[in-house]
Parts: sequence; structure tokens; C-alpha cells
Amino acid sequence: MELQKFTYDNRIARLFMMATVLWGLVGMLVGLTIAIELIWPTMTNGISWLSFGRLRPLHTNAVIFAFVGNGMFTAIYYSSPRLLKTPMYSELLGKIHFWGWQLIIVAAAITLPLGITVSKEYAELEWPIDIAITIVWVVFGLNLIMTMVKRRTKHIYVAIWFYIATFVTVAVLHIVNSINIPVSFLKSYPVYAGVQDALVQWWYGHNAVAFFLTTPYLGLMYYFIPKAANRPIYSYKLSIIHFWALIFLYIWAGPHHLLYSSLPDWAQALGVVFSIMLIAPSWGGMINGLLTLRGAWDKVREDPVLKMFVVGVTAYGMSTFEGPMLSLKSVNAISHFTDWTIAHVHIGALGWNGMLTFGMLYWLFPRIYKTKLFSVKLANAHFWLATTGMLFFAIPLYFAGFTQSLMWKEFTAEGYLKYPNFIETVTQILPMYWIRVLGGTLYLTGVILMIVNLLKTAKQGTFVPTEDDEAPALNLKAHGVDKGHRVIEGKPILFTVLSLVAILIGGLVEFIPMFMVKSNVPTIASVQPYTPLELQGRDIYVREGCYTCHSQMVRPFRSEVERYGDYSKSGESVYDHPFQFGSKRTGPDLAREGVKTGKNYKPDSWHYNHFMSPQKMVAESIMPPYSWLLKNDLDISSTPAKIRAMQSLGVPYPEGFADKANEHLQAQAHKIAQGLRDGGIDVADSKEVIALIAYIQRLGTDIYKTDNKPLFSDK
Amino acid sequence: MTTDNQNNKESYEIDTLTNQRLIKDHEYDGIKELDNELPPWWKWLFIITIAFAAVYLIRLWVFRADDLMQSKEYQSEMADVLAKKEATNANAAPFEVTLLTDEASLADGKETWTKICSVCHLLDGGGLVGPNMTDNYWIHGNTVNDLFNTVTNGVIEKGMISYKDQLSEKQRLDVVSYILVDLHGTTPANPKAPQGELYE
Repeated sequence: MELQKFTYDNRIARLFMMATVLWGLVGMLVGLTIAIELIWPTMTNGISWLSFGRLRPLHTNAVIFAFVGNGMFTAIYYSSPRLLKTPMYSELLGKIHFWGWQLIIVAAAITLPLGITVSKEYAELEWPIDIAITIVWVVFGLNLIMTMVKRRTKHIYVAIWFYIATFVTVAVLHIVNSINIPVSFLKSYPVYAGVQDALVQWWYGHNAVAFFLTTPYLGLMYYFIPKAANRPIYSYKLSIIHFWALIFLYIWAGPHHLLYSSLPDWAQALGVVFSIMLIAPSWGGMINGLLTLRGAWDKVREDPVLKMFVVGVTAYGMSTFEGPMLSLKSVNAISHFTDWTIAHVHIGALGWNGMLTFGMLYWLFPRIYKTKLFSVKLANAHFWLATTGMLFFAIPLYFAGFTQSLMWKEFTAEGYLKYPNFIETVTQILPMYWIRVLGGTLYLTGVILMIVNLLKTAKQGTFVPTEDDEAPALNLKAHGVDKGHRVIEGKPILFTVLSLVAILIGGLVEFIPMFMVKSNVPTIASVQPYTPLELQGRDIYVREGCYTCHSQMVRPFRSEVERYGDYSKSGESVYDHPFQFGSKRTGPDLAREGVKTGKNYKPDSWHYNHFMSPQKMVAESIMPPYSWLLKNDLDISSTPAKIRAMQSLGVPYPEGFADKANEHLQAQAHKIAQGLRDGGIDVADSKEVIALIAYIQRLGTDIYKTDNKPLFSDK
Repeated sequence: MTTDNQNNKESYEIDTLTNQRLIKDHEYDGIKELDNELPPWWKWLFIITIAFAAVYLIRLWVFRADDLMQSKEYQSEMADVLAKKEATNANAAPFEVTLLTDEASLADGKETWTKICSVCHLLDGGGLVGPNMTDNYWIHGNTVNDLFNTVTNGVIEKGMISYKDQLSEKQRLDVVSYILVDLHGTTPANPKAPQGELYE
């Protein structure tokens, strides 16, 4: 049979590798910074763009989309051509993909610290960047699919299956979760509201973990582990079963992020059971990875690449067992809103994604530079730093999460909360936050060693821009007639379509009833739209990332009702575009903060002083000061456009209200500011803090209103 | 999979390290695949989790099990607490509000002050959001009973919330005693201007 010659392009893979290393460093540095901010809240005193609430989204986005994203593309651009025996379809598309993706990352790195955010976790980026992501993602998908079309092997390997699932699902997730109504060039509101927005968001958020952090890295694992160990895959049958089970089941599990929230029971139950059913499919991947190393364990002892793969895959096994356990309602009642979740995700990020990425880089660099790794010793040092760093990160946070949750729930014999003041539960766990910083520092030190090692490796070798290979042309008749799964492995387009069908089912079954059946969100007559000032204040709440530390979701437990007030109802958030349930309580829940007869009510003057200096009001507070809110004037030019955008989403402001909205806003601002001035605080009506106070004092109050008089008259 | 004829047997290559069968024609960039079956424990694990899911959903969707509906779960948690509370209240002697001066009570009062009251009245009682507690001016009276009432019922329009659900009667009396015995008459760092009426 005639052999055709072709070449693999190492240049594009190298670009992605470099970006992986660079953004990995940046993402982890930002992570370390915010970890330090939690123990030293006044560190960046008064610098808005360095505050925790703005940097935390930058950290998560940088690690997920920049570090792991580029890591995934490295794996795909290196392995797909070799597995399919053809160059990537288009060098140009590859370059557009690479530079487009890096531009998106730069745009994120600029906009997020400026507070330009939608506030939906891992989907914070504003609409123009969302559109850019969509375009670049399609470019990537086109390049991948066309490479499969032009392949020379008849069947596609399991790594490619996972790449396909990644492309298809991330496209669906991103588009559905990012449907927003633009207010201006850099501001938009999601079309969904309240608990529906929450369901869409956590369908997205959970599956960003599944299809951005998991499936592409399973693909990576399926290529680089057998290559590095020079061993066959343990079980092809297991590959098939766990692949389809994983992608079909994963998509349903999103509601486990909303257990004991105001999401209806039936939807929560789906989140529970599909998470439990995910244990075996996830472990299928772990088994196939680890058992592929049978016969090569002697190599594992010496080779840092394999060592990292083993710890990475083991971390995957641990976190995919822990995840389903956290999805059981009784466990979630303890773990949710605490540092337990942070520990859990870092076993995944530092262990699974980090270790697999490092292993891949240590394996790839010597190959594309045609040399040996500069120092195996240094790589081993990195391995130990990363492993201990991960443990020093996660174990204290498990302890912190568990301790704090139990303190929140503890009652005295007389039936009062043992720790009624939230701050007591914070000071208790601060030592753990210190140890976490140590763990992060160890991990980052390892990464710096790796960068030195890789640069030295590159320096001592010579870059191989392209590699030649040869193979016979694609022959669909080769190997006889296919049976079973082999059939679709020979039809990549059909494979892609079937993957799409598999991942659509779960989402549709959850969304359609949630949006169509009215009883899922019972309306509450006294719940009304925000006033213009409150709406502006809410946008400041979103901008500052308050949701990164404060939830707005009182769960139906005695301990929470005693601490915060009545548990949250779904009908209360029907005008919340976007929802602000939050996922972490570094500070107390704010869902009932404005209720005057409630448990937490604070007068306006308290909030004013607290924003100026939280430590002045609560000496041990770890909240950063927000002094800029006291200095900046509220931009009220955006008010009419915001009201109109809300109206277009069905929020019932009276017709023509947009044009009168600022009058209403100024009157309310004057009233609040005058009250503060009467108490001796020197503040102008126009300051941002007034709007934020207005919003906070509105929180949770609507259901206690006795008259259902509309807030805004129709005249 | 059993091999019942010679041809089938020949279509397998053997992995020399594990002595297991490799699948014919499965080779991608040098990566081969073994023909191992699913591990039985793994299969059972999967089946058990699916059974768990089925039972769970049927219990909720068909039998409306109370423990899977969170509003019912909450009701039962609160009912238990209420029953307990009623039982203790029935036996409790009526609570007497008189100034306490013993060390233990004052120490307990100080703890409550530090944890809760200082957030608005400051640690040294000088006042900031709430009034100064060290001077002779009082807005809502200066007797033990007056202060106890203020702490118990709050003064909502002024921003002082009710603490009857958060502090026990003893805790409230302790903190009121601490204010009157220890805090009152001291000199805070930045005293807030007097509010209310002068009591000599």
C-alpha cells in the first residue's frame, strides 16, 4: 500500500505549552494573593481592583480557562494529528484559535479587576467577550472536526472521543448560560432570573468542571499515560462504557450545587442521584489510567512524569468520590457554603489538572526540543513540593469547613445559637487559612522550579518545528466490517452528533419543566421590582463580587432561620437578573439583611462605617475596606437603559418609568444620605455607597410587607 | 469472551508483561488496547448506584417521602425543638430582673458585650452607631428593667434589634448588669455626644 508523507506542526503545540506555563503562573499568583488577603484584609487597602471580590473571579477564570484551557489545547494540538495520522486541518485556524484565546484571557484579566462582570461563577465575562469566546470556540471545533474528516486512520481513539465531547458540550453550555440583554458595551443582564438563573448557571458551572476540567484531561490522560509508560490501555470496553456513561450522566448533576436552596425538591433530587451514579463512570477513567501502568510500576518509581500522572489520576479518583458524597443532602447540609468546597475543588485543580499538566509538559519539552530533561532531580523536587503543597492546602481547609459549619449549627442547652456572632466562627478557622497560604506557596514554588527546568531543557536542545510521518491513505474498508461501537468510531461526524444528543437530554429534562411549569416558582404578591437606586446598588454588589463571600440563600434549617431569619423562597428572587445566591459564606448570609425586625438588621450608619472600615465595627473582621464606594459618585446616566433592559426581561416597571427613574433615584438617595447626615456622617447624596446601602436594606424585606401597594404608581 | 474456534484465537496478540490479550487492529500512534472485561466490582458499583437512584426518585416522586421534601424536613425539625422548649418552659421559675454584681455574671456579660453589643456601641462603650453607654444620658431609661427591656424588645426605629431570640434571659441580664456596674462611668477613647435625658 502506498504511504503518504505528511508533517506534524510542533509550533502550535509549543505556543499553547508556553501559554499554559505563563497563565498557570499568573493564575496561581492571583490565587496566592487572595489567600493572603483573607488573613490580611487591609493589605490592598482602598485599591478597588486588587480587592478579594474582584480578584477571586480572575483567579478561577485564569486557572480554568487560561491554565487548564491552554493545557487542554496543548494536548489536543499535539495528540490529535498523531492519533489521526494527519496534520491539524488548518494552520491558520490554529493561529486564530491560539491568539484569539490569549486575547480573551487578556480581556478577562483587564475587565474582571475593573469589576466588569456578570457575576455568574466561571461565566463572569461580559457579553462582547462571550461573543469572542463563541467565535474562537467554533474555530477550534472546526479545526478539530475537519482534522478528523481528513484523517488517515479509520477509527478514532478514545482520547479523541473525549475531545469531541469537550467541544460539543462547552459550546452548548457557554451559549445557553451567556444569553444576556446588553445594557451598554460592558454591562448586561442575564435573561433568566432567580432560581431559574441559578439552575442554568449551575448546570453550566458543574459541567464546566465536567467538560472543561475533566473530559479534555481524560483525553490527555488516554494519550500521554500510555505514551509515557509505553503500555497498552487496560480495557477498551471500559473506555466505551465509562465514556458514554460519564457524558450522559454528568450533565444532569448541576442541581447538587443548589441543595436546600429554593430550587424545587424534584430538581434537587436529580442533582443527588445523578451525582451518585457518576461514581462508577468517573472511576472507570481512573481505573483505565492506573491499570494501564501495570507492568510499568518500576518506571513509576523513577520517572517524575509517571509519578505526576499517578498522583493526578489518584486525585481524580478522590475528588470524584468526594463530589458525589458532597451531593448527598445530609453531607451537603454541613459542607455547603464552607471551605470544604474550596478544599474539594483544589484536590481536582491542583491534583488532577495540575499534576497531569506538569507531567505532560515534562514529557513534551524534551521531545519537541530533541534533548533530555534538564534535571530529573529538579522535577522530582517539583513533584514533592506539589504533592505536599496540595495536602497543606486541602487538609486545613477540610478542617476549617467542618469546624465552622458545626459552629454555625451549634445550640446551647437553652436553645440559643452557641455562636450568634458570625465573626467567632471566622476567627476560629483563621489559623487554617495561614496553613493554606503555606500550602499554596509550596505548590507555586514547585511550578517555578518547573519553569526553570523547562527553560533550561529548551536551551540545551534544538526546537523541532515539524515532524515527518507517513501512513497509507484513509481506507474505510480496512479491517473488514465493523461491529458494535467500532461502527461509530469509524464515523466521527456521527460520533459528534451522538455525543451532542447524549449531553442535551439531561439539560432539557431539567430546564423545560423549570421554565414551563408555573408551580415550580410560586409567585409572592408582595415581591416587587427594585427601585432604581436599589438596582444601581445591586449592580455595585455584583461589580464588587460581594457574592464571592456572602450568600443570599437562607436554607431551611433551624440553625439558619435562627441566625438569619425565614428561609428563602423561590418567589423572592423573580426579579433577580442575575441571581445572587452565592456559593460561599466567608461572611454571613445577607438574604434577610434589610429586615428591620430581623436578626441581623443594622442601621444605615453602621453600613456606612462598615464599608469605610469593617475592622472599625468588627475588630476581627476579614472583610476588606471599600473606601472607594464612599468617594465615587454613582453613574446615574445608565439608569434609564437599565430600567428598559429590565422591562424587556419582563420586570414590571410602569410604562415610561425609565425616563423618570432618576428622579425616583435621587429622592431615595437624598432620604438615605440625609438620615446619615443627621447622624453626623458627612456624605453627599450622590455617592455609590448610598445605592449599595439602599440595596442591602431592601434585601429579604418584601415578604414581610402587609400592603401590596405597588412601589411605583402608574401615573 | 470465549474463543470457540481457532481463527478467533489467532486474531489476538498477547501483551507479554501481563499475558493479556491485545485487540487486533487497535493501534493509535503506537498505543494499543487490551481486551479486558469490565472489573466485576466496578460493574456492581455502577449497578448499586443506579439502584440507589431509582429508589431515591421513587421515594420522592411516587411516595412523597417526608425526609426527601425539605419543607417537611424543616417542619419536623422545628416541631421537635418547640416541644422541647415547651417542656422546659413549663418547669422554669419566673425570671427575676435584678442587678447582678457577682463576678461570674459580669464576666459573662462582658463576653456578650464584646461579641455582640460592641459591634455598634464599641468595645469601650463610647458609642458610634449606637449611643454612648458610659455617660449619664439615657434615651430609654437607666434602670435594670429599662435596659433589660431595651435589649429584649429592641428599638427598631433606631436600629436596635430585639435580642430575645438570640440571648437567653440570663445572658441579657448579665450584659445589662455589666453595662451598669462595670462600663458605666468609665472614660472611653472617643465618646459619642450625649443622647437622651440626663439622669443624675
